[in-house]
Amino acid sequence: MFYKAALTSIAAVATIGMAMPLAAAQKTGAIAQDFKLTDMYGKTVQLSSFRGKTVVMEWHNPGCPFVVKHYDSGNMQKTQAAARKQGVVWLTINSGAQGKQGYMKGPEAQKLTKDQGMNSNHYLLDAKGVVGKAYAAKTTPHMYIINASGKLVYQGGIDDKPTANKADIKGARNHVTAALTELKAGKSVSVAQSRPYGCSVKYAS
Amino acid sequence: MTSETYLRTIWPSFQLLLAALVLAALLSFSPAAAQVDLTKRELNVPATLVAESQQVQAGQSVTLAFVMNPKPTWHGYWENPGDAGIGMSFDWKLPDGVTAGKAQYPVPDTLLISGIMNYIYKGDYAVLVNLVVSEKVKPGPLPISVKSEWLACTDEVCVPEQDELSINLQVVGPDAAVSLNNAFNAYREALPRQLGSAATFTVKDDLFRLSVPFPANIDIEKPYFFIKEDGIVDYAAPQKVNRDGDTLIIETAARGDALQNISGVVKIGPSSGFSVKAASGDVEMSGTPFIGSDDGGNFTGGGDQSNASLLFIALGGAIVGGLLLNLMPCVFPILSLKAISLAKAGGEEAVVRRDALAYTAGVVVVATALGGLLLALRASGAAVGWAFQLQDPKIIFVLLALVIAIGFNLAGLFELPNVNFGNKLAEKDGAAGSFWTGALAAFVATPCTGPFMAAALGATIVLPPIAALIIFAGLGVGLALPFLLIAFVPAIRNRLPKPGAWLDSFRKIMAIPMFLTAIGLIWLLGRQIGTDALGLSLIFLLLITLILWWFGGGQMKGLSRGTWATGALTAAIIGGVLLLPGAEAMDNQKVASASSATLPSEPFSEERLSELRASNQPIFAYFTADWCITCKANEAAAVQRQETADAFAEANVAVLMGDWTRPDPVISKFLEKHGRAGVPLYLYYAPGEEPVILPQILTVGTLTDLVT
Repeated sequence: MFYKAALTSIAAVATIGMAMPLAAAQKTGAIAQDFKLTDMYGKTVQLSSFRGKTVVMEWHNPGCPFVVKHYDSGNMQKTQAAARKQGVVWLTINSGAQGKQGYMKGPEAQKLTKDQGMNSNHYLLDAKGVVGKAYAAKTTPHMYIINASGKLVYQGGIDDKPTANKADIKGARNHVTAALTELKAGKSVSVAQSRPYGCSVKYAS
Repeated sequence: MTSETYLRTIWPSFQLLLAALVLAALLSFSPAAAQVDLTKRELNVPATLVAESQQVQAGQSVTLAFVMNPKPTWHGYWENPGDAGIGMSFDWKLPDGVTAGKAQYPVPDTLLISGIMNYIYKGDYAVLVNLVVSEKVKPGPLPISVKSEWLACTDEVCVPEQDELSINLQVVGPDAAVSLNNAFNAYREALPRQLGSAATFTVKDDLFRLSVPFPANIDIEKPYFFIKEDGIVDYAAPQKVNRDGDTLIIETAARGDALQNISGVVKIGPSSGFSVKAASGDVEMSGTPFIGSDDGGNFTGGGDQSNASLLFIALGGAIVGGLLLNLMPCVFPILSLKAISLAKAGGEEAVVRRDALAYTAGVVVVATALGGLLLALRASGAAVGWAFQLQDPKIIFVLLALVIAIGFNLAGLFELPNVNFGNKLAEKDGAAGSFWTGALAAFVATPCTGPFMAAALGATIVLPPIAALIIFAGLGVGLALPFLLIAFVPAIRNRLPKPGAWLDSFRKIMAIPMFLTAIGLIWLLGRQIGTDALGLSLIFLLLITLILWWFGGGQMKGLSRGTWATGALTAAIIGGVLLLPGAEAMDNQKVASASSATLPSEPFSEERLSELRASNQPIFAYFTADWCITCKANEAAAVQRQETADAFAEANVAVLMGDWTRPDPVISKFLEKHGRAGVPLYLYYAPGEEPVILPQILTVGTLTDLVT
């Protein structure tokens, strides 16, 4: 009994120890911080298990008008489909805390992703905001691309027209599509950082 | 067919029909609903477009305001929204010959939610845009319309909002009257003022530092740098502020160093700030930390932990400060005599302790009450600091009367029945007497509190009110600490000298520091109200002293003149306070000091300017502010110089001075008219000619050459 309690407290300390470095933002060009999250089916997904493939991470909040802009117009689904066709892994992450806008439990997320025709590989639930804060995800959407060797090669907005107006999608530069095309051609990402735009991520605290 | 079977047959088709109807309704309604969503639905941050004047002359400009009225709990965004959010956008539809300038935003607030920084406006605010109407535009109607988009958010949700706003202006001839909307004065006051001097910034080792020339003697509150360019600083990181002489240095976490030039707003008070431009250079974190800057802004949440440690440090400082206060000339006499009287009562431990506790209670109650008053004044928006009571001549006068009364009491002119400074040693003071002595000590101590308590008391401004009150109470505890020690540690009490005949001499000598305090207060009062008014105040003080003497004389003869004395005293003090000059006279005092300067000047006004212009007198007009280093440097080096004054006097040059230390809409508008967003501005009007704008760095030669 005592043994178990001791073990629990050691584990707790270890978790805090691990959580500490998570507090800083990730630097473009550096190895992206590894993490484990539960997806909407309750399955654990680990970032490092995708080593060898390009990974796109998308911060999501279904209630945010800027996210709605890219889903109602079909822009995000199209970007996801094109990426997956290239063999890219797409992770959609929700860091909204319970009680805040956009928070979902697994079944709600399953329904939403189906209704909206989302094409991401995994919908990950980060209600505690640990991964969101580790990546300093500020807005929804906020996009990150990690290359096959695990380095962060892009972080920023989905495109360069910071509005909630669907009409602005046409004529905007989709930074994610552009970066994936460059990566596929073996080139380095020309716009490796941009200003993310949207609603603030609804963290717990 | 029974009705039942009929229903059964019809029901499925009815259901189908209903479904079709609902579907049709949905189909036909959803686009309409979507449209209503964007245009007709009530906005959370509604905007109104207002013009400063309906009429505009060709070749002139007119200022428009987007007046934003966020609903409670909603906010709008500054031009750089911070980590999330979006600034305003404007899509103008303007007639030919009309151009819209850049939007000018008021000084924003910070809102930190879960580590995400937002630069926002909570209350009503106005974004200003200048429209320039070219000379070619013919008189007639001038329809202006603009489609604007902005983001409205609460702490929880965001809604993109937009509106098509329009206004009809009238182009009028050069002689037509143009009436101005006075609301624009307030809108302009909320804008950051341009700091005349250039700032420097550096990005090194993941740290961003900004160095801003800013006079050491200008008070600032919760300074914060709002940067306009994205990608340079980590918005959510706390900002450290140092003051090093005439330089303000701000340090925070950096994000990148891609730029050579940046700009932004340095906020220095609840709604005042300066717009600065900074070039890349070297900045060291020199000088001393500005206390309380770590909380970053107005609406920040969290940070409790740092506040808790700040509270303990400040509380420690306050207790030590209170302890040191006992040695100040305003307190020492009261303290020393009271201490000896306590020691005398030494025989009865219980009485001594009761008196010491009563004294402590009196000190703590008054210190906390003064602190509470300070917080209340601050909350009501008055810019006050500790010893704020010394900014008001009325309070100085009352304090002065009190100090002089204590001084004469110590000197033996009269005795007081209740407040006892140790004169009637044989008697026991009683708990009430001790309490009032303590209260008096705390009140009289305040003039001496300022300088070395500044740091601890500065902390009270950023701490929550309860914590701030604890610090004020700590100050009181420190002040009462010697008494508590004397009362509760017999060893100390036994070492105090035994009262005797020497005590009466000692008491009289102790009148000297009291009178020194009085001299300090008289000097302070004189600076505020001028020598004429000071003379009158001193006559009232003499009157008060005479009443006290008469009262004291009565006591010695065993007559009770208490009621009469109290009435006469109250009348004298009220009379003295009422006869103090008002705020207007104090402004005159300031003007008087301006006219005794090397180069005397008159206050600037448009009327005076046109009057002088009409009289064909040459005019030198200069615009300055106490916080503007460039202005002060120019004044010292070129304007307030004997050579300049002589040359101007010989050429009969009229000098007008516009003081922009406090926001003044008349001066703001005048500066704007001359293409300046801020001071310094130097103008020379030769008779009958267009004004010449002089360079921002003046020499005596530049000025004397004007008139020779």
